[in-house]
Amino acid sequence: MIDEPRGPVHRRHDTILEVEDVTKHFGGVAAVDRVSLAVERSSITALIGPNGAGKTTLFNVISGFIAPESGTILFQNERIDGKPPHAVAKRGLVRTFQITKALTKLSVLENMMLAAPDQPGERFWSVWLRARTVKAREIEIRQRAMEALRLFRLDHLADDYAGTLSGGQRKLLEMARALMTRPSIVLLDEPMAGVNPTLGKRLLEHMHQIRDEHGLTFLYVEHDMDVVMTHSDRIVVMADGRVIADGSPAEIRRDQGVIDAYLGTAGAPR
Amino acid sequence: MTFVLGAFLSIDFWQYVAVTAGIYAIFALGLQLEFGFAGLLNFGHIGFMAIGSYTMAILIVHASLPMWLAALIAIVTAMLFGLVVGLPALRLRADYLAITTIAFSEIIRIFILNSVRWTGGPQGVLGFAGDYTDFSAALGRRLSSLTHISFDPDRVLLVLVWPIVLLIYLVLRRLTRSPWGRVMRAIREDEDAANALGKNPLFYKLQALAIGSGIAAIAGIFFSYQLLYLSPTSFEPLFTFFAWVIVLLGGTGRLGGVPVGAVIFAVIFAGTRFLEFWPLSLLDDGDRAAVRLIVVGLILIALMAFRPQGIFGKREELLLDR
Repeated sequence: MIDEPRGPVHRRHDTILEVEDVTKHFGGVAAVDRVSLAVERSSITALIGPNGAGKTTLFNVISGFIAPESGTILFQNERIDGKPPHAVAKRGLVRTFQITKALTKLSVLENMMLAAPDQPGERFWSVWLRARTVKAREIEIRQRAMEALRLFRLDHLADDYAGTLSGGQRKLLEMARALMTRPSIVLLDEPMAGVNPTLGKRLLEHMHQIRDEHGLTFLYVEHDMDVVMTHSDRIVVMADGRVIADGSPAEIRRDQGVIDAYLGTAGAPR
Repeated sequence: MTFVLGAFLSIDFWQYVAVTAGIYAIFALGLQLEFGFAGLLNFGHIGFMAIGSYTMAILIVHASLPMWLAALIAIVTAMLFGLVVGLPALRLRADYLAITTIAFSEIIRIFILNSVRWTGGPQGVLGFAGDYTDFSAALGRRLSSLTHISFDPDRVLLVLVWPIVLLIYLVLRRLTRSPWGRVMRAIREDEDAANALGKNPLFYKLQALAIGSGIAAIAGIFFSYQLLYLSPTSFEPLFTFFAWVIVLLGGTGRLGGVPVGAVIFAVIFAGTRFLEFWPLSLLDDGDRAAVRLIVVGLILIALMAFRPQGIFGKREELLLDR
């Protein structure tokens, strides 16, 4: 169902996304403070950190919703910092939102079809002058969307308004919809938040399956430590806007700085 | 009372109302695209209609252009103004767009009022309708010989305006059901989500505003030929809200609701002319005109209470708004 990602063929150990020295202030506070990190192609990388660490801001900066004050962001060896979100998405970097953005008055199927790239019918003149091409592409997209919905077990809801879905189903829809854009990398902002454990598990399975079969790259923010430790190739830890650690789950587990900054404040009663 | 009943039963009167309803329908179809599909709070729709009316009239009177060419340029001009207003205003949040557009429509009206040399100022523009009256008379004769019914100018306008309503309706229906329309609705629902999926919201909102403004100009052209005279008082901000009433009456995002809403609105608005019985007969004409607006307001309140989604709207959709 998910087509091969656009962009160069993947090699082992090559960097798909490189954030270098990126800074963004809100008022006097450095929400993201000279952050550098690299995401390897076809990896599953977790971004963790206590509340207010700057994870979501970093996501917003990478996906183009907030322009960084300084620093560069390279995606598939192309500068994307300062580019608007739709331009970034067209290059193959797609994101989901912490609070889901299901397009409530569109059907589930329409949500999916919307996300497909290269739609001639989205241009005013093509609607009139290339009606046949538009129709053919619609049929193709509908088919692909239905396949994706089947994979995510949402196909029975295809004609329902997206606004009638439960919180967990919305998270699934958002992930499926993101994949419809044929991305090379998917940024998931707390994909498991508010999702019941069964659906959450399914979401993780999808992530692994898609990575294994299609070589997609995932970068995700998550708070559940068990999930992060067992489902990531690499973990990047942020606190107070900075990256404080970066390594394999085993390395992060042993890192004293992380234990102090993250697990300490999160776990210890004060 | 006999006089009133006479007017109430007169075909001429209702024919006039039907033409007015057609013009309202065109005008409100433009707003339906902007608000019902793209989610744009345009409170200055009348400004674009004024641009359409006056551009055409001025081109005919001062540049002696033929009617068709003047009308075409008028539509394009209104569309360009849509882009010019939209480019800065669409970057603003929805409520600021509302303020900006209503200010724009007032700027247009006050400009018209003051640039006397071109627009006649408060005196208005006359003498642009020569081409049209010839065309209308010829068409009327042709239609009369075909149907053996007499065709006065209003009746000719009636058979011109409603096919255009249908045409615009069909064009918008095709557009809004296409992937283009899907992107529009997505932007209406959540601009950020659409943006994150690779759709450029500004580009689409500009298209909606340009097309909606062009449609407003078409309404303005028919309006000019109904009145055969243009004056700034016809382009008060109140007129924009007639379109809003029609869109809400018919149902937001329901194209088919617009002509129905327009007919209901025009009938109510014209019908309240006949509220001449006691105690309303104690009021003078001016005050009675205000009563019409009160009646329209009461009907809207009743609609919001009993059928908030409008006549053709879907209640399920309304319930999806948190």
